Amino acid sequence: MIFDGRTIAVEQTGEKMLVELYRRYVGDYPKFFKMDTLCRLGFIAAEMLIGAENDVPSAIILANRSASIKDDRDYLATISEGNYYPSPALFVYTLPNIVTGEIAIRHHVQGETSFYILDTPQQLDAIIAATPFESALAGWCECSTKDNFYAKLQLIWNN
Amino acid sequence: MVYCIGHSIISPLGEGSQANVEAIQSGRSGLKRYSHRFADVEPFCASLFDTPQEFVPLCIRSIKSAILTIPGETVPCSSADTIFILSTTKGDHLDLLTPAKAIVSHFGNPNPPIVVSNACTSGVCAQITAKRLLEAGMYKYAVVMGCDIQSRFIVSGFQSFKALSPDPCLPFSPERAGLNLGEAAATIIYTSEPQQSGWRLMAGSIHNDANHLSAPSRTGEGAFRCLMDVTEGILPKDINLIGVHGTATLYNDAMELAAIERAGLKDIPVSALKPFFGHTMGAAGIIETIIGMLMLKHGTFIKMLSGFGGVNAAIRLTCE
Amino acid sequence: MEQLIEQLKSQIIEALNFEDMTPADIDTDAPLFGEGLGLDSIDALELIMLMDREYGIKLADPKAGKAIFQSVRTMAEYIQANRTK
Repeated sequence: MIFDGRTIAVEQTGEKMLVELYRRYVGDYPKFFKMDTLCRLGFIAAEMLIGAENDVPSAIILANRSASIKDDRDYLATISEGNYYPSPALFVYTLPNIVTGEIAIRHHVQGETSFYILDTPQQLDAIIAATPFESALAGWCECSTKDNFYAKLQLIWNN
Repeated sequence: MVYCIGHSIISPLGEGSQANVEAIQSGRSGLKRYSHRFADVEPFCASLFDTPQEFVPLCIRSIKSAILTIPGETVPCSSADTIFILSTTKGDHLDLLTPAKAIVSHFGNPNPPIVVSNACTSGVCAQITAKRLLEAGMYKYAVVMGCDIQSRFIVSGFQSFKALSPDPCLPFSPERAGLNLGEAAATIIYTSEPQQSGWRLMAGSIHNDANHLSAPSRTGEGAFRCLMDVTEGILPKDINLIGVHGTATLYNDAMELAAIERAGLKDIPVSALKPFFGHTMGAAGIIETIIGMLMLKHGTFIKMLSGFGGVNAAIRLTCE
Repeated sequence: MEQLIEQLKSQIIEALNFEDMTPADIDTDAPLFGEGLGLDSIDALELIMLMDREYGIKLADPKAGKAIFQSVRTMAEYIQANRTK
């Protein structure tokens, strides 16, 4: 994990690393444990950035390639034939923009929240350049399995 | 501002925007009751194609059908001046990017596609993204396409939310008891090249309620802010119609009414189209924009939507 | 009954992802929603699914859940009276 150019040492990997970072940097938001991995990932990255700058952005614009595939698969497991008990707590996370909603709720962001599925970060840069906002939390937030994820977020100010 | 030059709707009600408007005007609905469409799922009411459709071919058919409606010209689909923007929530069996790439490659377009995945607001958000990219001069044409195919995945999920009405939905009725799902494909084509007549996309806005992941805000905060943004500089008397989301769930419709009242727009007629199409998810914002334009012929139309993740969106279109 | 209450507490912790919580942390008579455990509407739907999956009880009307989900005890009493598995 790299924060503001500094490498931050972590003991755990995968999903456990997100819990470790939650305990170290947040600790007071039990809703974290209800989130799917994509949301935990975006939430932790957002907490660290917003906490460090002590400034809440007016917009949240995120993107990835695989949408909410990890949670989609988890939900599918609850509707397998012969064992059909669809889980509402998993279904609610089967949309990638839910991570923008989780961050918006935490920091009371009532500006724009958008989620795009793109092939490259360059496409996101072009979209951000065309989007009006005062300040934005923006970047890539990807999760394919509980232990396989990647996020690169930044805070951007438009003067 | 950007100019609408072509559009198409393909739904269980018909092929092409005109066929769909005529179906609505003659009072036809696509909603039917299904008991055995998907294994294990309880009986539900929805608007589904009689013959199950494949996602990518349906999207391609929708785009081709929209291009055919452009008078006297075509869209340079294979040019770098054209961007394809896809609005979908579940794409082709949960995959969103692969089908989007297959669609642009079918049309020989060199730009990587943009997929907007902003829950139920995606169809309106995709039009807002098109407007921004065209106005920034990055492209001259935007093909905005919305599509979702219903599945065991989606229907079971909405049933687990107890959000589906077993009967045809009743938006804004005191007796409303939930939504119906639907499937459709719709395309709207915008250009930044000035046009002498026709509908123009004037303004767009997206706001989050920051309140709850699945329940709308009681005060309609996000929807209210969207309405205030898109009506800036115009008077309520200049607005002829508001196309609401009107899912017919208890809280969505109450929230939309609260937002419309707060924005001082309660005397303006509203249209809710879910009793005809069901909730077509990624296609909803595009279908409902096209129907609004065709029903109104000219004037000013506002289309609003809200969705999971607390997101709300609205656009304003005008035709003189 | 006490055994069912303990089992139910474990199932609630598991179903609702209460990290770091043990059955001993849940007061049998405390309200599940609002003040007590602070559950929300999605949790209520998840509890409805839990009753179906673990005890074969189908609650068609989510509003009926209000009386049943007052506390772990009221939930256990309802399960005791209505379980089919």
